[in-house]
Amino acid sequence: MLHEITLKINGEEYQVAVKSHHTLLTVLREQLGITSPKRGCENGECGACTVILDGKPVNSCMVLAVEADGSTIETTEGLAKDGNLHPLQEAFIEHNAVQCGFCTPGMLMSAKALLDFNPHPTEEDIKVALAGNLCRCTGYYRIIEAVKDAAVKMEAEK
Amino acid sequence: MRPFDYYKPKDFQEAIALLSQEGKKTFPVAGATDLIPMARDERWLPDIVVDIKALPGLRELKLIDEGLYVGAAMTMNEIAASPLVKSTWDVLAQGASSVGHNQVRNRATVGGNIATSSPAADTPPSLLVLEAIVVVRGPEGERRIPITEFFLGPRRNALKKGEIIVGLILPTPPEGAVGSYHRISRRHGADLAIVGVAVLAYPKAEGFGWRVALGAVAPTPIRVPQAEATLSAAPGKPDEAVISQAIQEAVAASRPIDDIRATAKYRREMIATLMRKAIEDVLEKL
Repeated sequence: MLHEITLKINGEEYQVAVKSHHTLLTVLREQLGITSPKRGCENGECGACTVILDGKPVNSCMVLAVEADGSTIETTEGLAKDGNLHPLQEAFIEHNAVQCGFCTPGMLMSAKALLDFNPHPTEEDIKVALAGNLCRCTGYYRIIEAVKDAAVKMEAEK
Repeated sequence: MRPFDYYKPKDFQEAIALLSQEGKKTFPVAGATDLIPMARDERWLPDIVVDIKALPGLRELKLIDEGLYVGAAMTMNEIAASPLVKSTWDVLAQGASSVGHNQVRNRATVGGNIATSSPAADTPPSLLVLEAIVVVRGPEGERRIPITEFFLGPRRNALKKGEIIVGLILPTPPEGAVGSYHRISRRHGADLAIVGVAVLAYPKAEGFGWRVALGAVAPTPIRVPQAEATLSAAPGKPDEAVISQAIQEAVAASRPIDDIRATAKYRREMIATLMRKAIEDVLEKL
């Protein structure tokens, strides 16, 4: 069964025909060529496919594409503006919070959703926000430091 | 994943007609966090998936005469953050905030959590001590099922084909009631509970009334009446001897299994540890 749906992704409107049983992750990657959300466990456990759906971080492998009809989606592709990296992206680089990079887009989106909602997170808030994102390379310490630093810099920019 | 058809009806008549079709495997879906992995592994083989999020009342959370009404499609994060839930039914907020991780809690719903009927689900122990009532609509109209009669076994419940969980009624607990939910899992976030314990207590004429429920240690989430009676019989706050006896009775009432997450022996020890923590929490707040 096909459904004509509309998605607003990183500020741009897309109309796309999706199959009932295809996940948002599949449609983003394979129909729209938006590949920052990664196909990891496909089981809602690793967070590599995290996108922000109507302001909230979700696993795009756990959402049917048709369920997202009419919604607003943010992915890592939309973070940099006019060639300038987002403060979170800069902080991840500065703190060496990236190694293989597979978890990074998901980490960035979970972190962005946190900072959009809570600009002054405690370390505990950051840990709770990132608990659904697995990283097998860096250890989480550098990632948490990067998010803290980005929060401070984003506040200073305001 | 085997293909299926998807519908998002706006009224109950259409939803129930879609779900009642003979010869088709039909699934109501709200958060889809159980459906998608099960369908992907082809352990569930839906022909028709009916999204119930647009049905009237499913996304409501409001005070009613009997207490609190929680629409079945309210998400775990919405429940965990709700000032209304936290005011009087906080033990449910604690259960909801223990489910999975943030991304899952933004999708998973309380209706889905009970419909899937995993013995290890995190909201049922809280719903049991709050004596929730499940509101269901189906081909024969609306009916109300006490949560104690809802779960029939692992992934089995009292729902009939074509029925939809509309919401939950949480009766207002006795004046001064406080609750606590504790759970343990292998990974903090994402993994199912190895054991979950919900405790609720409230002042009564002499001493306190106690309710205790356990998750992941029997074919369904359970209340433990003997342990509750022991705690409630204490003239004031239960002392160490009473608490130890109640814990032993709760452990004796459980029927845990060995599985990939833990052994039965470990689960029994964790019932004791978590029940003590939950009782201590409650005693501090009483």
